[in-house]
Amino acid sequence: MAHASQSTPKSAPAREFNPQAAVFAWLWPGLGHISIGQRHRGYAIMFGVLFLVAVGVLVGGIDAVDRREDRLWFYAQSLCGPLAFGLDFLNQNVVKNLPDEQLNHATGLARINEMGTLFVALAGLMNLVVILDALHFSPRPDKPLTPEHARRKYDRRETDQRSSSQRESEA
Amino acid sequence: MSWLAATYIPFLYPINFFQTYWYLLLIPLAFGISVIYKAMRVHDLRTLWWQVGVMTAQIVLAMIGLAICLVILVQGVVPLLPVR
Repeated sequence: MAHASQSTPKSAPAREFNPQAAVFAWLWPGLGHISIGQRHRGYAIMFGVLFLVAVGVLVGGIDAVDRREDRLWFYAQSLCGPLAFGLDFLNQNVVKNLPDEQLNHATGLARINEMGTLFVALAGLMNLVVILDALHFSPRPDKPLTPEHARRKYDRRETDQRSSSQRESEA
Repeated sequence: MSWLAATYIPFLYPINFFQTYWYLLLIPLAFGISVIYKAMRVHDLRTLWWQVGVMTAQIVLAMIGLAICLVILVQGVVPLLPVR
């Protein structure tokens, strides 16, 4: 019976509605979680989204973000926030104004353009999931437990067990 | 400015190496997606990088498995179908 009571599902923690965190999450990936006190989670998200954008632009060049020629893809990319708009601004105003010889080198063709576009679009779509998570956030622990913390917790449990068994033997 | 065209400039010029080996990009793609997904899902952030590694491996292996299945289907099964 004890086993049955252990397997009873615990009630899910109440979710918090944070529209402000969702806006922050769109403005800069990971900022939404940092703003609600989930600092480590926020940094990890920031690393993941910026990694995808960086690899996409590295492989496909800045041309991978193009509001005019790849409009549908840009809808997904724009979910990365002002970062995507900044890259598109650079593409439209700097790269596309380069002399022909340099423009030929800066324009990604075929698979590298597809892959670069895909990386940034996926970063945007994953950031949408992050925005929704920040919007309806269910509180969970953030600070990673260090080995030192875990050891102290174990020591405390040992001491508690020893003192309770001592009390029982005295009784 | 002619030197600009001859020199590779990271983030401005694309990497043409991946024109041939584009499938290698599956690994950083799977890694990036795993980092974002697991950063939201894991309860204990100490296990984050381990779980990211596991998920990345799962995605890559699943894609390789799908590729093998498709090769078998296209190269092995489709030629056996009757031709009208």
